[in-house]
Amino acid sequence: MGAFDPGTSQGHVLLGDWQIFLWTAAIVGAIVVVLILLPLFLWRRRDGAAPARFQGNPPLEIAYTILPLLIVLGLFWVTLTRERRVEAQTPTPYAVVHVDAFRWSWRFVYPAEGVVVTGTPQHPPEMALPLGETTGIVLVSDDVDHSFWVPDFLFKRDAIPGFVNRFDLTPTRAGVFRGECAEFCGLGHTDMTFSVRVLPLPAYRAWLAAHRSAAP
Amino acid sequence: MSWLSTTDHKRIGILYMAASLGFFCIGSALAALIRIQLARPDQHLIDPHLYNQIFTMHGTLMIFFVVAPFGLGLANYLVPLQIGAPDMAFPRLNAFSVWIFILGGLTVCSGLFAAGGAAASGWTAYAPLSELPVGAGAGQDLWIAGLLMTSISSVVTAINLLVTILLYRAPGMTMWRMPIFTWEMAATSLLILMAFPPLMTTLAILLVDRHLGGHFFDANAGGNPILYQHLFWFFGHPEVYVMILPYFGVITEIVSTFSRKPVFGYVGLVISAFAIAGLSMGVWAHHMFTTGEVSNPFFAGVSFLIAVPTGIKFFNWIGTMWKGSIELTTPMLFAIGFMLNFLLGGITGVMVASPPIDFQAQDSYFVVSHFHYVLVGGSLFAIVGAVFFWFPKFSGFRLSERLGTWCFGLLFVGFNATFLPMYEMGFEGMPRRVDTYANVGHLAVLNLIASGGAAIMGAGLVLFAIALVLAFVKRVPAGDNPWDASTLEWATTSPPPEHNFTELPPIRSEHPLWDAR
Repeated sequence: MGAFDPGTSQGHVLLGDWQIFLWTAAIVGAIVVVLILLPLFLWRRRDGAAPARFQGNPPLEIAYTILPLLIVLGLFWVTLTRERRVEAQTPTPYAVVHVDAFRWSWRFVYPAEGVVVTGTPQHPPEMALPLGETTGIVLVSDDVDHSFWVPDFLFKRDAIPGFVNRFDLTPTRAGVFRGECAEFCGLGHTDMTFSVRVLPLPAYRAWLAAHRSAAP
Repeated sequence: MSWLSTTDHKRIGILYMAASLGFFCIGSALAALIRIQLARPDQHLIDPHLYNQIFTMHGTLMIFFVVAPFGLGLANYLVPLQIGAPDMAFPRLNAFSVWIFILGGLTVCSGLFAAGGAAASGWTAYAPLSELPVGAGAGQDLWIAGLLMTSISSVVTAINLLVTILLYRAPGMTMWRMPIFTWEMAATSLLILMAFPPLMTTLAILLVDRHLGGHFFDANAGGNPILYQHLFWFFGHPEVYVMILPYFGVITEIVSTFSRKPVFGYVGLVISAFAIAGLSMGVWAHHMFTTGEVSNPFFAGVSFLIAVPTGIKFFNWIGTMWKGSIELTTPMLFAIGFMLNFLLGGITGVMVASPPIDFQAQDSYFVVSHFHYVLVGGSLFAIVGAVFFWFPKFSGFRLSERLGTWCFGLLFVGFNATFLPMYEMGFEGMPRRVDTYANVGHLAVLNLIASGGAAIMGAGLVLFAIALVLAFVKRVPAGDNPWDASTLEWATTSPPPEHNFTELPPIRSEHPLWDAR
């Protein structure tokens, strides 16, 4: 995961959360594994170990209550600050894309540019995002719950009928990224994929122009 | 024939456990089909509609008809014995609860033979998907009816257990001398009473929407799909603890017995059980972090707090083993396996409780792996360990220790080979509930390892079945207390007489049989 480069600035914040939690998990986990396995080597009945009779140790019990509490409070603070940064939305995005999820594909609408891209399960649609600029996503669903997921961005958000979800994406790396529906939505769920093409500004404008003329 | 009309808590307990293991066989066969379908990328052995039924039925059976009811069955058998009672408080109600549970399971399974197939909207049956007529025909209604029946069974059993624990304890058996398993069942029963009525309400609303034009969850008619998620998880998260608290009790009894030491930090352990039960009522929306419609910080904070009482239990077990006289019998091996697996399930549970991590992990194989580490590496290991531990009491016969050791080895290796790769699959972007996947990243090799691990697990489960059959063939007598355990169920014969005890030893602590030595 060290070499993993998330494709958005929001993704970098999310990756930081992963790393902090993974390191904490590795350290705490290793200590507890050693504590579980150690008695199996030290005090075996076949080696003639006689059992001690103690049944508790109040100072120790208080310590192993307080210490985990402090750890999770620390993790809570990490979570709060990072989530706030990921959820932050600029009032002035470079572009706005309306994402409409339906059984079983996606419609990407660029209202300002007059571009509409509609996919089918057999021909998944492509969405273009400008490199280095912030795009505001407006996510809705036509029928049942879906979820917009781009694994390389470390991010997903659900599309739920009757609700509008908004979030920002700021790509930091050009390329084509796999997207999929993460919320089970019935027969065609597996085929409900799409791709995100992150392009430098001139190429992005060319993509818009090409898709505007191709629009029905 | 006498088994059909029995009101003896021990026979009812065995019926409960045997039925759970029967449903477990079906659920495991479905899991095998899933792993066969996913072994290679872009594979289409199973038609998508059938695949959706398979994973829906797998989850439904394992959660509602295996892991949760096995704990109730074990409690049915053990709780009266552990507190020195002759039977449960309401024996006839008890018989009702086991039969309506079995009927519920058969009703859900009968969906497989319905026109349009079984329920196919996942074990969570999210509305509005579960309200569509296409792909959710009679199977979905049978699913709802079966779950209503088993919910009634759970509620009735919970009331029965609580009344038994509060009012039917033997003289000298104060609350603070009860075995930890009985305490954990008291906490579990309280949780059932709080969690299952909301589930029954949700299922009833689903039926109203499906057949009476209710539109509760239909956004086009002013309904609210988010409401379904709130209602479902308000039940669903406490249910997770209904599926693990009994097994914390099992592990505690096994660890204490085979360390030859009383439980370390008994009072703290009891308090932690009720702390977990209480906190678990306030974390449900951590299943909804990606909806954008809940207070993520609040639910993340409460979810993190659950790590504290759960951590306490680990230190209780380690403290109990510390300077003990440890014997690595089959039940003890399963207890150690439980701790190691559940540790990883718990740690990844703290990770997915952080919304920024959940934005990637939610609805991916990362989460699939997390809850299998809790419910298979945890609960199922405790179930097999419990069978090896208490089988001599149930039957009067011993199980083969040699087969037991092999069974543990295969299950431990197979389980980790199956589910460890799934964390990476999820991180690389494999969503759950897909019937196939593209050959990207390491998904092909990871899935192949997982399917191979599942085959090893299957071999371990076959050995488990062989060990059970062989015990009845060989009939090696177990004696009253083969493990030199400390709690009252071991003070009577194996199997116990109909009214459990002819006389009780004096009860002056939570380990009366060790006091008598």
